[in-house]
Amino acid sequence: MNFSLVFDSLPLLFQGLLMTLLLSVASMIGSTIVGLVAATLRTSRLPVGSQIARVYVEIFRGSPLLITLLVVYYGVAYAGYAMNVLVAAIIGISVYHGAYIAEIIRGGIEAVPHGQWEASRILGLSSTQTFTSVILPQTRKLVLPPLVGQYIALIKDTSLAFIIGLAELTRQGQSIVDRVGQPVLIYFLVAIIYFIICYPLSLWVQSLDRRRLA
Amino acid sequence: MPYEWTTVFGYLGEFLQAAWLALEITFLAFVLAVVLGILAALGRNSRLKVLRFVAGMYVEAIRNTPVLLQVFVAYFAVPSLGIHVNAFTAGTIALGVNVGAYLAEVFRAGISSVPKGQLEAAGILGLNQGQVLLSVVFPQALRNVYPAVINNLIQILLGTSLLSAIAVPELTGTAVTINARTLIFVQVFTVTLAIYLILSNLLSYAGVLIGRRAFKPALVVPRSAFRQSLTFRRATNGTGEGSS
Repeated sequence: MNFSLVFDSLPLLFQGLLMTLLLSVASMIGSTIVGLVAATLRTSRLPVGSQIARVYVEIFRGSPLLITLLVVYYGVAYAGYAMNVLVAAIIGISVYHGAYIAEIIRGGIEAVPHGQWEASRILGLSSTQTFTSVILPQTRKLVLPPLVGQYIALIKDTSLAFIIGLAELTRQGQSIVDRVGQPVLIYFLVAIIYFIICYPLSLWVQSLDRRRLA
Repeated sequence: MPYEWTTVFGYLGEFLQAAWLALEITFLAFVLAVVLGILAALGRNSRLKVLRFVAGMYVEAIRNTPVLLQVFVAYFAVPSLGIHVNAFTAGTIALGVNVGAYLAEVFRAGISSVPKGQLEAAGILGLNQGQVLLSVVFPQALRNVYPAVINNLIQILLGTSLLSAIAVPELTGTAVTINARTLIFVQVFTVTLAIYLILSNLLSYAGVLIGRRAFKPALVVPRSAFRQSLTFRRATNGTGEGSS
């Protein structure tokens, strides 16, 4: 192993890691908000709202993330505005993963027995109160394992921001490879960094899941 | 018709060719993924510690790193070891190896869904280990995890878009090229999105039809069962997925 190359590339990879973490955290927050709104609309009785949410989920789950990223990034430029690549990536990933998260949350909401709605209404809670303080808290146990799983997928998917030119971890790795070669070593380092982020989360999902099934 | 649309439809041949290439990659990668998935699932259930370790390393390493990085490894790193592959082959192998790791967990869940008593019963009836696997375990296991398998097929189709990063002229790469040539962004990407939606829906319809025909008694799955995200499935491994 070429140790001097490893040490020389660590600062660049660290910069990339920071960008990947920033993009991941921002997109997790964004996609959760989008998913929550879409799931609420989808399970609501608003006929137009639930149809819009359904079409939204169908479109994004039937097409690749890369198309969403390209549409956001080039679409904004095409419309005559300039957008920061990081912002474009956050929006693209949030909207795309929001569709998956919407379905996870919807599954949780629909698993709560319908009688609870009626009981809460009879107790005098408004439908908003019922939703936020009776229904949603109960979905936590069912929703958390797949939600964390989705976050792992999201973290890995931030590497696609590379293609619209964001200097995140994969791109920093690639730029080192472009300059000095040694693809096997550099990709190995990059992979190790992703693994260190994702593997603990994977173990967490597994333990959550075991507890849920037990 | 506005000229933008007539221009885009002038490129319809290229779009369809690219879509066909994406489907070709999808099927080849799927075959590889199924083979690797079965081997890794058997490896993780093996009595040999070495096999369990190798299969476990494969599954965890692949599932905790980005597929784009795996594509780059196949295309840029493997040739530096002296094995020369073109972009199509490298990309197809990368996607197959990637989804193989997910399928390994799916198959493992399927195998463990078959009651242990059946293995003992089949052994007592005089079937050898290979026969038990082929004619007792696999048919039932496949039935239990069938929606997850079709879901992986669709995920490979969506994953082919990444191969545009190593210059495979599949659908996304072709769309980017045509967009650069014509600069009619809205129309080019509307057509591309429509083709992806048609293809992914075609695959899930095919999944429903094959499920009805290939299993006895017929397996009736709603199409929505095929559209869980990769990791949603992991979190629900082996728990009533076939029935939901």
